Amino acid sequence: MWKPVHLFAFKKKFDFLGQRKTALILSTLINVVSILGVIFVGLNFGIDFKGGIAIQARAKQGVAQLDALRSIVGGLGVGEVSLQEFGEASTVLIRIQRQDGGPQCVAGAQRVLQKRAGAGWQAKPGAAGTGDVELTAPAALDGAGWRDAVSRVGLTIIERQLPRGTTNTAKIDMTPEQQAEWCQQVVIKQVEDAIGANYEIRGTESVGPKVGDELMVSGIWAVLATMGAIVVYVWFRYEWQFGVGALIAMLHDVISTIGVFVLLQLDFSLTALAAVLTIAGYSINDTVVIFDRVRENMRRYKKLGLVELLNISINETLSRTLMTSGTVFVAVGALVLFGGPVLYSFSVAMLWGVIVGTYSSVWIACAALVYLGLRADHLRPNDEEKAEKAKT
Amino acid sequence: MLNLPRWQAIVIIAITVLSGLFALPNLLPNSVLDVLPHWYSQSRIGLGLDLRGGAHFLLEADLRSVLNERLANLSDSVRAELRKQQVPFKEVTVDPGRALVVTLRDEAQRAKAVEAIRAVDPALAVSGAGDTIRIAYSDQELFRRKKEVIDQSIEILRRRVDETGTLEPTITRQGDERILLQVPGIKDTTDLKRKINQTAKLTFHLVNEDVAAAGANIPATLPPTTFLVPTREGLQELRRSNPKAWEDIQSANPRLSPEQVCRRYQPQCLPVLKRVVVGGEDLDDSKATFEQQQGGRPIISFTFNSAGGRAFCAATRANIGKRLAIQLDGEIISAPVVQSAICGGSGIITGSFTPQQTQEQALLLRSGALPATLTIIQESTVGADLGADAIRAGTVAAIVGTVLVALVMFVAYGPVFGGFANLAMLVNLLMVFAGMSILGASLTLPGMAGLVLTVGMAVDSNVLIYERVREEKALGRSAFSSIATGYERAMSAIIDANLTTLIAAVLLFGFGSGPIRGFATTLSLGLLTSMFSSTIFTRMLLSIWVRWRRPTELLI
Repeated sequence: MWKPVHLFAFKKKFDFLGQRKTALILSTLINVVSILGVIFVGLNFGIDFKGGIAIQARAKQGVAQLDALRSIVGGLGVGEVSLQEFGEASTVLIRIQRQDGGPQCVAGAQRVLQKRAGAGWQAKPGAAGTGDVELTAPAALDGAGWRDAVSRVGLTIIERQLPRGTTNTAKIDMTPEQQAEWCQQVVIKQVEDAIGANYEIRGTESVGPKVGDELMVSGIWAVLATMGAIVVYVWFRYEWQFGVGALIAMLHDVISTIGVFVLLQLDFSLTALAAVLTIAGYSINDTVVIFDRVRENMRRYKKLGLVELLNISINETLSRTLMTSGTVFVAVGALVLFGGPVLYSFSVAMLWGVIVGTYSSVWIACAALVYLGLRADHLRPNDEEKAEKAKT
Repeated sequence: MLNLPRWQAIVIIAITVLSGLFALPNLLPNSVLDVLPHWYSQSRIGLGLDLRGGAHFLLEADLRSVLNERLANLSDSVRAELRKQQVPFKEVTVDPGRALVVTLRDEAQRAKAVEAIRAVDPALAVSGAGDTIRIAYSDQELFRRKKEVIDQSIEILRRRVDETGTLEPTITRQGDERILLQVPGIKDTTDLKRKINQTAKLTFHLVNEDVAAAGANIPATLPPTTFLVPTREGLQELRRSNPKAWEDIQSANPRLSPEQVCRRYQPQCLPVLKRVVVGGEDLDDSKATFEQQQGGRPIISFTFNSAGGRAFCAATRANIGKRLAIQLDGEIISAPVVQSAICGGSGIITGSFTPQQTQEQALLLRSGALPATLTIIQESTVGADLGADAIRAGTVAAIVGTVLVALVMFVAYGPVFGGFANLAMLVNLLMVFAGMSILGASLTLPGMAGLVLTVGMAVDSNVLIYERVREEKALGRSAFSSIATGYERAMSAIIDANLTTLIAAVLLFGFGSGPIRGFATTLSLGLLTSMFSSTIFTRMLLSIWVRWRRPTELLI
């Protein structure tokens, strides 16, 4: 049997808070750069938040020809297109900006119909101010024929929208908003038609304008609500100086994580948001471990100066801080290396979150306590002290 | 602290064993599962569409158009009623999406007008002043109607998408006006959309009572005007008694005609006249209500449009005492006896129904047409091989992560303490699996990431405890006392640390959708169960170990 190895058993006498000015400048710099980055460079929002289309395709033979694909898909007239290799050289992720409807989209629908239903098909926009589409078939069709044709361009309709009897023209009435949602489907079909000969479509995803806008708003609310709830919890459990310290450290971690997304231009999707929220929770996780000891020591050494007391507390808890971060780091590291391309943004963000969360617990959260002027008599009496007071 | 009462130990072990039992079906290979009883082997965690492959649609129902249409219909009725009551009015206009506005010629007639409107529908909310009257549905009524439209759409989607009963689609309501449709194993959405766009065939036929009176369920010969159609009860009975036959009927290609089904499999059938009395496209509405007189039996009421009403009136007048069969997609859902001529566009179906049966039948009658346009506002498809890749990547990451974390714990805290922590980590994983099986949650790729994260965070509690034990030991406490104090003092930090992350995970669950919910589920479950496995469970192990080995020096 082997003996345990004290992994972080160095002499624990670091003057952490002596470096607080350097840390403060460094952190301020990182955060300011992150915020400026968000404003001037911008987050690389995924289609969850922006709306749009993402298509994963794999070359049937050899590697994916990104340049050729870019010119093919770019030539469809569907707006901004971005391509990236996804996981392996044969696989490509094609992202296309969200579609808002209009004559361009109806023209695309006509091409899809001609390719999939027959050369004689035509699609024209209906009256101005509506999202109506007028379809013309090469031959007269009955209800079943019309339903089959519109299914081919990805449209879902109800009986009321179809012509009665057998005709060769149909006006499908839609609102402009409904048309815009449908146009995401049209683009998927267009891309399938354009690259289907050489590429296998492995998966598609489309988010219409409505859902995109909603997720953006509710995503912002989720971040605010999570941070609020955590602060309330810490406030409830600790004195207000601790709450403020923890909040500042958490903001620091969240903002700098978003900065990492800007810097590396990682895909900011719903999974990324999950990473940001988890980091907010984990940031506090680390901080309270130190705070817990700070509070304990303040009760024990009532005469000690705050900076010295904080240094003692940080040093005492250093090995457990490093061990807890270490285990999470190892687990997240496995995700980065083996988790695959879908989880990549999430894993990288989490990895950064673990590092920065540990750093901020020491230099940001504890330094904040110094600047907030925490004193022993700010502490609420604990149960033992309450019992003592009751005796006297 | 370390003197664990026996009953506590028993409870802890029972919880652990139970979790293991619940988690087990997820870990056993199929060959073993086949031998086990069905109810046990089936309680496995399902895979999310991102791992399993399939299509996912979020559909939004255009409820505003439905409401406007209803308001337009209502305006016709109100006009007619006002004329009947001889209340002069300037106009009746629809305020789109909201209400109906009646402008009277004479303010003095207001009371009489309101009375007439109430006669049209007592549930209407009437407001306004002077010569204008605003008529709107009450919020309650609007809510009820919205719910009705969505329920009806879900029912119709289920019939259309899963006509063969083999696709296992999940169709659920999302919020007020949305429907989530998930179909595993499908990649071609064109085909799925074709199914959504198809129409159920609802037709009314007269039963050929001469043939039926002869008594045979399946007569050898039929007059050329008549054909056989299986009844709904008959088919359900067949499905129960002979599942193989049912499967054959569903998978037959080309589809069997109703008569072929009757002749081949002999379920209960009815001979009906081929001539269609009225088609489902002429049926406006049907609902389950109760009879006004005669004790309020549950009945089904229905309304035709004018063309349907005329045809129905003529047919019923000429066939009192005969049965009228209602055929939906090749099965007879009901064959009530015509009691009297039904003219005026609406009628009722009576019989010995339970309220639930009338609800069902009314819904079936409405299944002809989708009540509202369903627009796809979000769509995703995942190919099966893409899902398989994701499973592989997630599994490798989970195994590597778990092994690495276990190694770190072994190295840092030695074979005993490290071993206990690692055992606790495995118990924690079992408990997460068990929890997901019990909740019926499905595993997604982000969910697997949550599992990996849980592994890293679950041992944190043990780190907090062990580090504290080391400190207490350094202060010169005995082995027994160091462990006891270590657990006691580490507790508050453990609870704070887990709860703060749990807050984030729970809020993420509330906000997120689809795969992200899978992440929130595994992370929250993992944090919750780790509070049991890392503290209570390891404390029991240590207390047993301490009493057994009586160590004087702790190797930690």
